[in-house]
Amino acid sequence: MTAPLLQIRNLKKHFDLRLGAFGEKGARVHALDDFTVDIVEGETLSLVGESGCGKSTTGFAILNLHRPSGGSVIYKGTDLAGLDEDAMRPFRRDLQIVFQDPYSTLNPRMTIGEALSEPILFHALASKAELPARLAQLLADVGLSPRFASRYPHELSGGQRQRVAIARALACQPRFIVCDEAISALDVSVQAQILNLLLDLQEKYQLTYLFIAHDLAVVRHISDRVGVMYLGRLAELAPSASLFATPLHPYTRALLSAVPEANPRAPRDRQMLQGEVPSPLSPPSGCRFHSRCPLARETCRSQIPEMRAVAPGHLVACHAVTSATSTNWEASE
Amino acid sequence: MSDERPTSLWRDAWKRLRRNKLAVTGLFVVLALLLIALIGPWITPYDFLSQNLDARNMAPSWAHPFGTDDLGRDVLSRVIYGARTAFLVAICVTAIALAIGIVLGAIAGFYGGPFDRFMMWFTDMTMSVPQLLLVVVINASLKQPISSWMEQMYLQTLNPIWRNSAIVDFVLVFGTMALISWPPYARLVRAQVLSIRNRPYVTAARALGLTNRIILRRYVMPNAMGPLIVAVSAGLGTAMVLESAFSFLGVGVNPPTPSWGNMISDGLRVWTNYPHLLVAPAAVLAVVTVAFNFLGDGLNDALNPKGQK
Amino acid sequence: MTALLEIKGLTIDIARDDGPARVVDGITLSLQQGESLGIVGESGCGKSLTMLSLVGLLPNRIRATGGTAMFGGRDLLKMNARELRAVRGSEIGFIFQDPMTSLNPVMRIGDQIAEALIYQKSIPKPAALSRAEELLALVGIPSPKDRMTAYPHELSGGMRQRVMIAMGLAGGPKLLIADEPTTALDVTIQAQIVDLVRDLKSKSDMSVVWITHDLALIAGLADRIAVLYAGTVVEDAPVNAIFDRPTHPYTRGLLASLPTLSDQPMARLASIGGTPPEPGRRPPGCPFAPRCAMAIAACADAVPQLTAVPGSDPRHRVACIVTTREATA
Repeated sequence: MTAPLLQIRNLKKHFDLRLGAFGEKGARVHALDDFTVDIVEGETLSLVGESGCGKSTTGFAILNLHRPSGGSVIYKGTDLAGLDEDAMRPFRRDLQIVFQDPYSTLNPRMTIGEALSEPILFHALASKAELPARLAQLLADVGLSPRFASRYPHELSGGQRQRVAIARALACQPRFIVCDEAISALDVSVQAQILNLLLDLQEKYQLTYLFIAHDLAVVRHISDRVGVMYLGRLAELAPSASLFATPLHPYTRALLSAVPEANPRAPRDRQMLQGEVPSPLSPPSGCRFHSRCPLARETCRSQIPEMRAVAPGHLVACHAVTSATSTNWEASE
Repeated sequence: MSDERPTSLWRDAWKRLRRNKLAVTGLFVVLALLLIALIGPWITPYDFLSQNLDARNMAPSWAHPFGTDDLGRDVLSRVIYGARTAFLVAICVTAIALAIGIVLGAIAGFYGGPFDRFMMWFTDMTMSVPQLLLVVVINASLKQPISSWMEQMYLQTLNPIWRNSAIVDFVLVFGTMALISWPPYARLVRAQVLSIRNRPYVTAARALGLTNRIILRRYVMPNAMGPLIVAVSAGLGTAMVLESAFSFLGVGVNPPTPSWGNMISDGLRVWTNYPHLLVAPAAVLAVVTVAFNFLGDGLNDALNPKGQK
Repeated sequence: MTALLEIKGLTIDIARDDGPARVVDGITLSLQQGESLGIVGESGCGKSLTMLSLVGLLPNRIRATGGTAMFGGRDLLKMNARELRAVRGSEIGFIFQDPMTSLNPVMRIGDQIAEALIYQKSIPKPAALSRAEELLALVGIPSPKDRMTAYPHELSGGMRQRVMIAMGLAGGPKLLIADEPTTALDVTIQAQIVDLVRDLKSKSDMSVVWITHDLALIAGLADRIAVLYAGTVVEDAPVNAIFDRPTHPYTRGLLASLPTLSDQPMARLASIGGTPPEPGRRPPGCPFAPRCAMAIAACADAVPQLTAVPGSDPRHRVACIVTTREATA
């Protein structure tokens, strides 16, 4: 295996909520805790989980768009965590992001051409003379005709805007793109178009993706590896095939069984989760999933489970899972 | 969509504004009055200062469409010059207030932190002082020192510009009015910037590595402009009324410089006998205020189309 | 069996500055008592507007301009505001997409549920409140007695959607219309809500219309599915027939582009090229023809009518001249 593109160690992000007239009283949201992973060049790592699980925060913290509260993100031998905006600027080009909402992802006062030219001219990636050709190339890359350059965002459909947002990320010639729920807001038929486009671009430009989504079925089509997150912590991290074939963490299993199946005759014996995700303001002690977990026992309430490898590349943070083959799942039922 | 011209949001807004009859009327009135004010010296039938004691307090006639005042001065000419005063004050005061408001509001909203808290505290303080009281206090305490300072400058330089008491008036009026007018602009800009600062396109601009200055200028401010333009339109009207009110009370522009406010004040004393002296400046002030309001409403509908029914 | 609801030739227009634009273009649909119907389509296909028009809740500038909607012998589209209010309160319940904004934030949830009963059915307040508590229990809210006095912001998204469902059920409706009720919810909560509605339905003779963009979601929920595209019904069939034998090219495209857990990992999804037409810019003839790989010249001639699919379920109907011909051959 080659050296990882990004080495992320114990990344943390806590948000302090200021209350009171002078912002003197604080409550702390544990949005992300102890996130450790190596992202390998050319791979797609997906993060899935429900709202509040910290998956988007992870993307923002890696790119230093939200300054991490702790931990490190090593890229090209430099720790990005804690760099100020000026020190961060040379790295920004390589590390890009595509957002969820196609309606607010583009500046409504700029034409598509202006939006795409901005990073090119700012980083001096092309001269003024080369610019039109470069714009046409970018638009072609995302399947749009060059005449879109003179359009304004409100004249485009959601799918077209998302293509432009991808083109803007590509304009910097990045190595790594965070796709933050990039297809979640799109219609089903358009989702498939964008998903395929992302795969095509990855092949063409050897891109590395961090693909953030809440839909496990979508993730299956794009990921080499999948991380499942719950309340700010990784619960399970495994190669895609392994995760979908043998999900080990009880939360992963529940999440998988909640995905609706496009088959009216499918049996409906779901592993239903009771209750809802607790508030990240006061996450449960020990394993954060214990309050909803069918396997919870005394240790789960007191001890935070460590991520342990139970099979090559398959990591789980659960006291009940002892090996890839033997879990206490069946025993407890 | 292939055969249409691209439409920017500004052009869209202009199209919507043009369809609004009241707003177009308002815009027309405002522009017409501004034009009259600009070319005033060339179109006024009489000098606004020249007195004709044989023709005092005359009712409107062909020679004097708005009549003459107690010194026999032509009221139409004085109203036109009053428009110059009104526009000069309104535009300068709004420009100063806007400049302060945009700079403070944008910095506070974009960077947040202690400066933001201090700024909000400061605007609250400013807004909590009664406006009229502030103006009277400033007038009473500063007018004398400034006048004597100018007298000194004149004695030193012998430049006649230091003899022009109208300048003191204007500087004081601009200063005090701008001082009480900027906080609403600052608050508005701050609120706009706060809501735009976290839009994905701004975060995307940060991710592209653009500097804060570029982001503020090209991504944040253009999108904050809509409500600000509406506020400026309303603010110009308010500033005109404010200037008239201060002049009316004798703390604004002083005679002989014509201002609608001091004309109304003079007219009010004799209105039972010579109503035209009150009606002419008051009616013009009313018309221009209403025109600014129509324009502001129209701009609001045009720039914020979501409020459309 | 008589139809509970019979929509015929419904058209809905948006008033635009440059004239009306048609969003719903002649929808014909019927619903039996006790049946659950899934209405599937992408954003802008008119699925929500169709249902909102039935209960007189269309937004400003959007109006039903033609057709009939017979419900219990009366035409809903001809009713005045007072009659519609009576229907909404008792015979048709409605659940909206966003439980965050559809509840009054300054009113206790018990009072919100009871209010409909007090004003619509003239039930005295104590009785209405105890009925509200029963409804909260029915929709699976734990310790309903304590929750009666809670404000909406004190509840999670899933709980709020349950409260919305309780409000929809308050009048004892014959028809419950659910407009994308799980779109704003997490997947595990979505599963809970789907199970709840299926459960509620099985206990009564109520009909359910579930509007969604997710074919997979209603596979296990609906008896029948109507697929909408650009303001028209393109396919209408029992749920098994839709999945066993999707006939309209759009339905086939939707199914193929749906990511599922049984797909091969890293497999490319089939996708439909292009985007749906905007209201008022519908192509002549079949609205799907410009995006359709199977389109022939005749597709642009006339809007295809719903006709029975030969060899499939007798209730399986599709609006496509190419695939019906292919099935006959």
